[in-house]
Amino acid sequence: MTDAEIDYEVDAEDLTLAAPREIRDDAKPSLVVDDLHITYRVFGGKKLGTATQRKDSFVRKLLNQGRSHVGSVSEVKAVKGISFVARHGESIGIVGINGSGKSTLLRAVAGLIPPTKGSVYVAGEPSLLGVNAVLMGDLSGERNIMIGGLALGMTPQEVEASFDDIVDFSGIGNFVYLPMKAYSSGMAARLRFAISASAVPDILMIDEALATGDATFRNKSTERINKIREQAGTVFLVSHSLATVEAMCSRVLWVHQGELVADGPAKEVCAQYKAFVAKSRAKS
Amino acid sequence: MTVPTQRKAPAPAASATTGAVPAPVTPSLTSDQLRHLAETHGLKQMGVRPPLREYVRNLWARRQFTAVLARSKAYARNQTNYLGQLWSLLNPALNALTYVLIFGFILNTTKGVGNHIAFIVLGTFTFRFFDQSVAAGAKSISSNMNLVRSVHFPRAVLPTSSVMSELFTALPATIVMLAFAFGSGFLPDMDSIPITWQWLLLVPAMALLWLFNIGCAFFVARWVAITPDLNNVIPFVMRLLMYGSGVIWTISTHVTNEFWLKILDYQPVAVFLYLVRSCVMDDPTIPQSPARWVWGAIWAVSFIVVGFLLFWRGEERYGRD
Repeated sequence: MTDAEIDYEVDAEDLTLAAPREIRDDAKPSLVVDDLHITYRVFGGKKLGTATQRKDSFVRKLLNQGRSHVGSVSEVKAVKGISFVARHGESIGIVGINGSGKSTLLRAVAGLIPPTKGSVYVAGEPSLLGVNAVLMGDLSGERNIMIGGLALGMTPQEVEASFDDIVDFSGIGNFVYLPMKAYSSGMAARLRFAISASAVPDILMIDEALATGDATFRNKSTERINKIREQAGTVFLVSHSLATVEAMCSRVLWVHQGELVADGPAKEVCAQYKAFVAKSRAKS
Repeated sequence: MTVPTQRKAPAPAASATTGAVPAPVTPSLTSDQLRHLAETHGLKQMGVRPPLREYVRNLWARRQFTAVLARSKAYARNQTNYLGQLWSLLNPALNALTYVLIFGFILNTTKGVGNHIAFIVLGTFTFRFFDQSVAAGAKSISSNMNLVRSVHFPRAVLPTSSVMSELFTALPATIVMLAFAFGSGFLPDMDSIPITWQWLLLVPAMALLWLFNIGCAFFVARWVAITPDLNNVIPFVMRLLMYGSGVIWTISTHVTNEFWLKILDYQPVAVFLYLVRSCVMDDPTIPQSPARWVWGAIWAVSFIVVGFLLFWRGEERYGRD
């Protein structure tokens, strides 16, 4: 993962969220994930083993030294065999500690990371709405809005039509004409959110998007997400804030070390997860 | 068809109090059942290579995205300077001056050519377009990883737009190149470079070279995406090609071996250099040659077709590293 995950708590009273809808078991499936495995190839990281080296002959030491600097490729198993079925109209929260594979799972489901093993079946075009969706730092906000919009599958006319709306919503004003590398991290995140929220997808995936910006912007983005949520078929939400997850989702998946350890009604899984967090906090 | 949703039997009581991590959920449906479920509801499989026809259609649908991405990148390249876009002309002009100085006045590597400044300026600029396109194509996946990881689109957009971006950089450079070639005709001891209708043939020549470059970019984009080490080898291949294509010297007067002469004359880069020179220069040693035009077309089409197929076959692997 190249992007830093943002750890963030939303105050429950800040949230004015639409209650999750009730889903019947026989609703049409919109997403089927079958035994999904994601293995990353990571270059440039290898344990050099200086601490555990035994007393070897000089030649062997030299050989080992040489070998440990060549071919430093390691594999990271981020997702290890997850299966589930999501249905139309469901909002599903994904919880888990940092590095448990939540974002990877979401990206694989959105078709951004090809599975190493297993398959993902989707109805329509999924779209990932994330503060992590980085655009191009060298280009102005204006160009980035055009690029982002076209990448999401809009036509240039559609992007131009929603340009003012995007700028207004992000609240960055005239900064939109400066290169994005001049933005504060909050401004960049707001612009990215505004771009990705301008299209309504069949399956909406939100990766920590509620963690963007100040209190005012958070209220605005919550409103926008609710609006998209009403139009989108299925919603996925990755968040570290259990308050958000509980308020928005009817069903919760708990991912731990790349495996799905719980899948059920939001209240039950959140309670389990809370107990787990409390216990690990007590330990440390 | 009604299938029970896969939810774990409610046994949270124990772990909710102990805080232990529960055992992984065992799926209630087998792979076959899941596939069947997906198929009966018409779901589309993600993260697999789409059929060729669909892939081409998707790529065509993103043509505006490709062009905007290319234009923005070519523009951003010069934006970090005080003089901004003026550098798109200054850069090639300085480049040309260097070559004029070294090869026009100090060295003589182009025996038999009436105007060796034009010969070398045309050669270096044309080769530069090829060289930069391949370098940009090789990095096209890794330098756009952020885009790859956040939006879903046919990845062939990336090498295509990288080369298109080089084309946008090469257009002002071509104007500078022509100005230098024309100007060199007024120097003493240099044949004049008349502006004739043949200059118009430069457009198809550059178009063929552009297609050929996109084809090469497809090849290296896939190779480098899967084995990043190859990116270190590309500069050496480029240097080999530079010396083997007669960029700054004339092949016919320096190579005597019949076999090598044939290879060096008809390999793609040398063919494109010949086409560009034959369009601009009015030199008896570089006449218009229909045979070379055919060769140019063959190289361009075969590289872009084979390169595209090769790139498409790796589609499901880009973005996992």
